Amino acid sequence: MLSRDADACFWIGRYVERAEATARMVDVHYHAALESGLPGIEGADSPMRWDSLLAISHTAEEFYKHYDVYSDRNFLHHFAFDTENPNSILVSWSRARENARSIREQIASEMWEAINISYLQFRDWDVDRILAEGPHAFFNRVKNASHLFQGILNRTLLMSETRDWLDIGRFLERGDQTARLLDVKYHDLLPAYQEEDAESVEPLGVGSTMDMHGWIAVLKSVSAFEMYRKIYRGGILPASVVDFLVLHPQFPASVNHCVKRVEGCLKRISGNSSSAPSTEPERVVGRLVADLTYSRPEEIILEGLHEFLDGVQVRCIEIGNAITRTYLSY
Amino acid sequence: MSLFHGYETESFYDEMFEAPGTPRPHYQKLYTRLRDMSAEDFRKRTQLADRALIQQGITFAVYGDEKGTEKPFPFDLLPRIIPAREWEFLERGLKQRLTALNLFLHDIYHDQKILNDGVVPRELVVGAVNYRPQFRYADPPGGIYVHICGSDLIRDVDGTYRVLEDNLRTPSGVSYVLENRIILTRTFPSLFRDLAVRPVDHYTTQLLANLCELAPAGREANPNVVLLTPGVYNSAYFEHSFLAQQLGIELVEGRDLFCDDNIVYMKTTRGPQRVDVIYRRVDDDFLDPLTFRSDSVLGVSGLVNAYRAGNVALANSIGTGVADDKVIYAYVPRIIEYYLGEKALIQNVDTYLASNPQDYKYILENLDKLVVKAANESGGYGMLMGPQATQQKREEFAEQIKANPRNYIAQPLISLSRAPAFVENHCEGRHIDLRPYLLFGKESITLIPGALTRVALRKGSYVVNSSQGGGSKDTWVLANEPHPLSQTMGGMSQTMGEGTMMQSLPQSTNPNPTLEQGGAQ
Repeated sequence: MLSRDADACFWIGRYVERAEATARMVDVHYHAALESGLPGIEGADSPMRWDSLLAISHTAEEFYKHYDVYSDRNFLHHFAFDTENPNSILVSWSRARENARSIREQIASEMWEAINISYLQFRDWDVDRILAEGPHAFFNRVKNASHLFQGILNRTLLMSETRDWLDIGRFLERGDQTARLLDVKYHDLLPAYQEEDAESVEPLGVGSTMDMHGWIAVLKSVSAFEMYRKIYRGGILPASVVDFLVLHPQFPASVNHCVKRVEGCLKRISGNSSSAPSTEPERVVGRLVADLTYSRPEEIILEGLHEFLDGVQVRCIEIGNAITRTYLSY
Repeated sequence: MSLFHGYETESFYDEMFEAPGTPRPHYQKLYTRLRDMSAEDFRKRTQLADRALIQQGITFAVYGDEKGTEKPFPFDLLPRIIPAREWEFLERGLKQRLTALNLFLHDIYHDQKILNDGVVPRELVVGAVNYRPQFRYADPPGGIYVHICGSDLIRDVDGTYRVLEDNLRTPSGVSYVLENRIILTRTFPSLFRDLAVRPVDHYTTQLLANLCELAPAGREANPNVVLLTPGVYNSAYFEHSFLAQQLGIELVEGRDLFCDDNIVYMKTTRGPQRVDVIYRRVDDDFLDPLTFRSDSVLGVSGLVNAYRAGNVALANSIGTGVADDKVIYAYVPRIIEYYLGEKALIQNVDTYLASNPQDYKYILENLDKLVVKAANESGGYGMLMGPQATQQKREEFAEQIKANPRNYIAQPLISLSRAPAFVENHCEGRHIDLRPYLLFGKESITLIPGALTRVALRKGSYVVNSSQGGGSKDTWVLANEPHPLSQTMGGMSQTMGEGTMMQSLPQSTNPNPTLEQGGAQ
């Protein structure tokens, strides 16, 4: 496969996933805040916790550069449409589209059309329409557009390298997004436990109503809530949430699952059927997979979840770089 | 109100109507089908077609629009129909022309007999911008220089077909022939059946077969054929991508390729892979920075040497632009006679060369009556429409001609034929041209029975280029001559099939069958 085309597939996968992640995150947090029972004030004390969303998407700087007012309207515009925000839904989607345009002869025409039609639909929206019809109407549409694309991909594309490159982009981005989301939200939710008893692991299981609510939102924003319920009978415990979102091998958005999928794709591409890595990207991914497979949630939390998740994000970047050096621009 | 209510043919040759209300025989069925269609219905079909184009991304960006609005390429749903006998004539004429031009290219890049015999002035050839002396004595596979040809034809006020210009470098537009056809078969399915329209979808199959034939010795078994594009920002990028998809070949950019020891490779995720045939849509100038423009980032260093060494094939070959030069154009009838000993079947448009002293004087004295063209521009640029231009514009061109006579030609303004186009809520006559596509293979030349008909959608305009507000039409080449009897029968079955028996009555009592038969040429 042409390296440039592989690169385009990789980025289509990433951008579609990024648009979906942003849509889920904003949607869930907007609605969670509405249900929080706190007064609907705007400004820095807004229960919307917009600041943490800025931290997750790494776009605080862009936001404060362009807006004076800390309002729902401005944040919705920032995350959904702002062309100044490199991670806004519209920007991500239009980049996916430009990449798809450049390889439209490689992918099925339905895949290109799905991306193109969704783009044209998103462009018909603006903040006024979001506020009039409700944010969920828009963000759900973005989520469905991503699912439609992935569905067509699954149904039409050859089991070939093209698919592996799309998947590498998708899963690397998804794992990275999950790690970021948990990192930032954990930071928001953490103080409540530390105040009670900083020494013990026990308080990790005890949360106020508000914290419980926050954790449910975290799970919901990666569509993990119902699946979590099926597996963990002990209620919403931070250690269990960390276990599920970071280490669980079967949950499709867990960091472990995502990184394993990337490893599988890389091995198919290089034709490596042994357990030892045959390329640099395989080596870096394999090492992260091993760490995630053999860690326990309690020890991660005790040693510092933030440090751990930060390390995961750095290693995702490393994986991306190794892939680029080995396959895409040599 | 009828779509054709108040339609005027005026003083032009109209493709559809002999006179207002009297369609030509090969348009009779289309006319009958559309006569009673409401403008509203027709507009709906047009909108459906536009939406299909937008969803498939067959669009161009409107520059300077911040919201990034994209519009579909203007497309007129009314097809242009060419009867079988006319097409047969065009086929003979176009193949004759391409055969002769290919012999001409071979000659001027080898022994230059035609220049030695003084048939074409030597300085016009060696002084042409697109003459490539670096490529003399190179031997392209099978002696073929022009693998894909898309010359422009027009019809004058008598309906006579003439070649307006040859396109022997990287002619574009064939994707619209194929896409327009798909849209029209969805819009008017019954007409295709009744009219026996000849198919065009074998174009890519033939093209791929021809390209594979060019593979270097020892690489014929499974040649790696690629399409070289300047990239996603090129205005014809959609076409490049579409063709690569239809041909099932890799779409590459210059940065995907490199040469090593006169072999061309592409960079893949499994390392370098050898390339055998390149269907290039990049101009000569940008093909190889080592040979041509050194500032080109679109090309591949060393490609020309790899080509000369016979390790990779290019389609079209290098240096073909010298034969579609607008000055050399004037000599094409003589070129045909020189190599084939035949008169040109399809005429040229009368052409005055500013490099010829007599013509030079005539041109400068008659700028208000002439169309002046720069020898090597395309896309409707570098052109003066004398009768419509301002005095100031004419003076500017006069200066340019005086400064560089070799670079200019002039032609009388031809009253291009017109065909009906749907405008707002009815049909009006608009000027059109015709671009058929020929594929030159080792065994034979294939003319695809269909073409791009470009239409100047602005009222009164003669400029059909898409960069200047032109649109396109599907072009139907008929398999058989229309026959008054079978035509009526076919018309009946069609109208009955669609549950409107009343409509078959006026047609089956057509008062003028003999007149229609006489009208076919």
